[in-house]
Amino acid sequence: MRVPWPRRGRSERDADLDDEIRAHFAMAVADRVARGESPDAAAAAARREFGNVGYVKELTRESWGGVWLDRLRQDVHYAFRALARSPGFAAAAILTFALGIGVNTAMFTVLNGVLLRPLPFKDPDRLYLVSHRPDNAMFAREASMLDRQYVEYRRQTRTFEATTSYNTFPTTLTGAGEPARIATTAVTAGFFDVLGVRPSLGRAFGPDESHAGAKVVIISDAVWRDRFSSDRAVIGRSLSLDGERRTIVGVMPPGFDFPTGARLWFPTDYEFNPHRMAMRPVLGRLAAGVTPRQARAELVAFVQSADAERPAERVERAVTEVIPLRQQIVGNVRRSLLLFAGAVSFVLLIACANVANLLLMRAATRQREISVRAAIGAGRQRLIRQLLTESVVLAFLGGLLGLVIAAGGVRALLALAPVDLLPRVSEIRLDGTVLGLTALLCVIAGVGFGIVPAFRATRPDLHLSLSGARHSAGAARVRLRNTLVAAECALAIVLLVGAGLLMRSFVRLRSVNLGFRPDNIVTFMVDLSDDRYPTVASMHEFRARTNQALARLPGVSAVAAVNWRPLSWNATIGDFELSDGRKLPPNYMALKPAVTPDYFRVMGIRIREGRAFTDRDEAAAPRVVVVSRLVADRFWPNGDAIGQRIAMVDKPKPEDWMTIVGIADDIVQFDVKDAPTPAVYLPLPQVESKSWLNHLSFAALTDGDPTRVERAIRQVLQTVDPLQPLESVTTMQAVVSQAVAEPLFQTRLLGVFAVLAVLLSAVGIYGVLAYAVAERTHEIGIRVALGARPEQVAAMVVQRTLALAVPGIVIGLAAASWVTRLLAKLLFEVSPTDPWTFGLVAVVLGGVAIAASVIPARRASRVDPMVALRAD
Amino acid sequence: MLLQGTLDFIVLQTLRWGPRHGYGIAQMIRASSNDMLRVDTGSLYPALHRLEKKKWISADWEVSENRQRVRVYKLTAAGRKQLALERTRWEQLSQAIAGVMQPPLTEGET
Repeated sequence: MRVPWPRRGRSERDADLDDEIRAHFAMAVADRVARGESPDAAAAAARREFGNVGYVKELTRESWGGVWLDRLRQDVHYAFRALARSPGFAAAAILTFALGIGVNTAMFTVLNGVLLRPLPFKDPDRLYLVSHRPDNAMFAREASMLDRQYVEYRRQTRTFEATTSYNTFPTTLTGAGEPARIATTAVTAGFFDVLGVRPSLGRAFGPDESHAGAKVVIISDAVWRDRFSSDRAVIGRSLSLDGERRTIVGVMPPGFDFPTGARLWFPTDYEFNPHRMAMRPVLGRLAAGVTPRQARAELVAFVQSADAERPAERVERAVTEVIPLRQQIVGNVRRSLLLFAGAVSFVLLIACANVANLLLMRAATRQREISVRAAIGAGRQRLIRQLLTESVVLAFLGGLLGLVIAAGGVRALLALAPVDLLPRVSEIRLDGTVLGLTALLCVIAGVGFGIVPAFRATRPDLHLSLSGARHSAGAARVRLRNTLVAAECALAIVLLVGAGLLMRSFVRLRSVNLGFRPDNIVTFMVDLSDDRYPTVASMHEFRARTNQALARLPGVSAVAAVNWRPLSWNATIGDFELSDGRKLPPNYMALKPAVTPDYFRVMGIRIREGRAFTDRDEAAAPRVVVVSRLVADRFWPNGDAIGQRIAMVDKPKPEDWMTIVGIADDIVQFDVKDAPTPAVYLPLPQVESKSWLNHLSFAALTDGDPTRVERAIRQVLQTVDPLQPLESVTTMQAVVSQAVAEPLFQTRLLGVFAVLAVLLSAVGIYGVLAYAVAERTHEIGIRVALGARPEQVAAMVVQRTLALAVPGIVIGLAAASWVTRLLAKLLFEVSPTDPWTFGLVAVVLGGVAIAASVIPARRASRVDPMVALRAD
Repeated sequence: MLLQGTLDFIVLQTLRWGPRHGYGIAQMIRASSNDMLRVDTGSLYPALHRLEKKKWISADWEVSENRQRVRVYKLTAAGRKQLALERTRWEQLSQAIAGVMQPPLTEGET
């Protein structure tokens, strides 16, 4: 392999030095001849007197200065030549490095984009979310505050320079290409100022536009590109959101999608309305010099005085905190990303250990070459440097190939990641930071794992090997190789245990009793907008017509509707009154799904006692409810829940009381990991509140494969209301899969890393054994000659394998029992030190080790003593 | 065996008598020290190239009688200045050493 490299005057200088030394020599010989020595004797004496020509040249070159670059070039050149001479070794080492560095670069690219790059806002470190929310699963996902309290807080806060609040929901966009559901954010005054981001085209909302009456909108770069083909004249044009015309006043810069995923922004303001209170996120920019701690203290004081003034708004068992915006955005993926980064660093360590072993073995076979180089004048330092250069060159070649692997790896990772799991996806790319880290990894890997082999290879007892005698590698070198393999096994065990635990946890998660049966159900959701469905009656009518149309479809055996289906991360939820006047425990909240009669049958929710709803439970009929077992057992532990009455309003009038007619199984509403939520089911026809009717989930029970009905369902909806967009038609099974998509992703990813680690370790074990067998052919030959049977020889190799692997496995298990604590939060009903997983993993790795020893063992058992003994 | 700084000083000193090639310098050092100092080529050539880089000596190519290219070194002005400096230092050092070797008689000594 020829390496192009500038040769600036170097060869000239070398030639000069050659001439200078040749002249020295000639003059020394001439002097001796003049003194009467024979020419031959004179030449020999002069040579002896001069010493090692190569060494003198080398020392002289060193005094030239700037020589390190020169020598680096020389070393690199030499390294390429040496590697080209053993392409097998080079390919193995480069591929191994590439794999290790590639997965690390891929992981770091994601980590860098999501966690490390600064948020695309002005002084993002001063942005904090203000939160005062109930300690409840439903509100745990996002920092938030009662809008009524926010209006007060905004006026009072001194620790924040400015605050804003917002609310994201899907709207129907028309008047700009195809109608579509699009993520829209209603923002209060100062939203863009708090973030410190200006529209790249047009303007932000003016101070006179900070109210819901201002019919203006700012669009994202994506909307501008896709729907207005990047037309700069878009300012002043209009579009419709849920049938309301709005004038476009600005376009945000590319990549701006705050809050995560938002595409359109329009102004709003909150007003005091005791009948409509909502929890909203509140974002603030800390005033200069104020600490988050001070901001929190102010918030706590505010809440105390607000609770005293308006006890009705008091939030029971509240969580009051000030959270960095970054934490809200990346908080839920931070742990798993760091965990994966740790996992891939293990893969890199194993890869490096493999390369170090390759280098050690190669050093043994190169002993003669190195001895010769030492003899012709290369100092030990120089030799070490050269060998190190070789390993660094290997690492960099591996790194280059690794970048290719990383590019593919990032794409695969993003494809594998569930939708909406990773925030800031647009910022994930190979940038300078990533390339810098890759280069650093190459140097660390090349030097860190090349240095010991280099020192070993250049040990000064080398004259021995020049004598040509065959001698086996020193015990120290064998010990080092074995240690490296044991370490690989240990690292692989840790990863394997981690993957095993996640897998076990996932299996547990999938076997959770959800309380409903997700098989053979097609489901979809609709949002009924105010402009098209202005009355409760019109909403009921839409629901009834859709139900009927769906029920007529071939292959559909039953149809039901509910306002929020299970696992949809939203629900109607609240408290209720008991007819005997008992008070509910503080913060007790139950789901309040409003359902059609067939809901329990379609969803497979069992009625334990009493009855489900029927068609007779219509609007005018006596009001009834079905409660879940958690509710029944909690308030009527004696089993007499049926016939009791509850109400859903404060100070109920006689007609507000509803009679319990049935008890249903509990279901999981929000997260598969959550315990089931208590529920009170209402018959949908008896519901009279628009906010309970404008979001509807339909579910159709099918006879066979539910996906076959999906297309038909879209067509049916077209006949009911061609202008009504519907959200993704899907199967209930898919909804469940989506709910466990994140743990599945984690399991798969760690699984991939663990498999990589195990494969690399297997290669490492194989390499060391194969080499050991080759090295000991002579000894094995003697054993065979003395009567050892092939099985005994093979058994010897397998025994040696276990001697390598078992200490690694034991250390690995010990390390894993400590490391897996980090996994604890990701595990569901599995202990981080689950003995089954640990045991299984140990057996698996032992098996892999033995499998890796099969070929070397076979080769050893076939050693022909005659050939082996003659080799010397 | 020579101290590094000392070798530089000796080389500069040798070149005071005129331009000379590497072999000539080695021979001259050897002759003028009555065979006491034998400079290793492994020290001499690095020293020459080092001094050249410091611009205390300069080198030219000449052709010898047997038509071989010979590299000849000579002292530069900077080299002369450096030599003077080193000389002073050397003289101070040898005086100091001499003083240590022959302590002045003190009273009370017999």
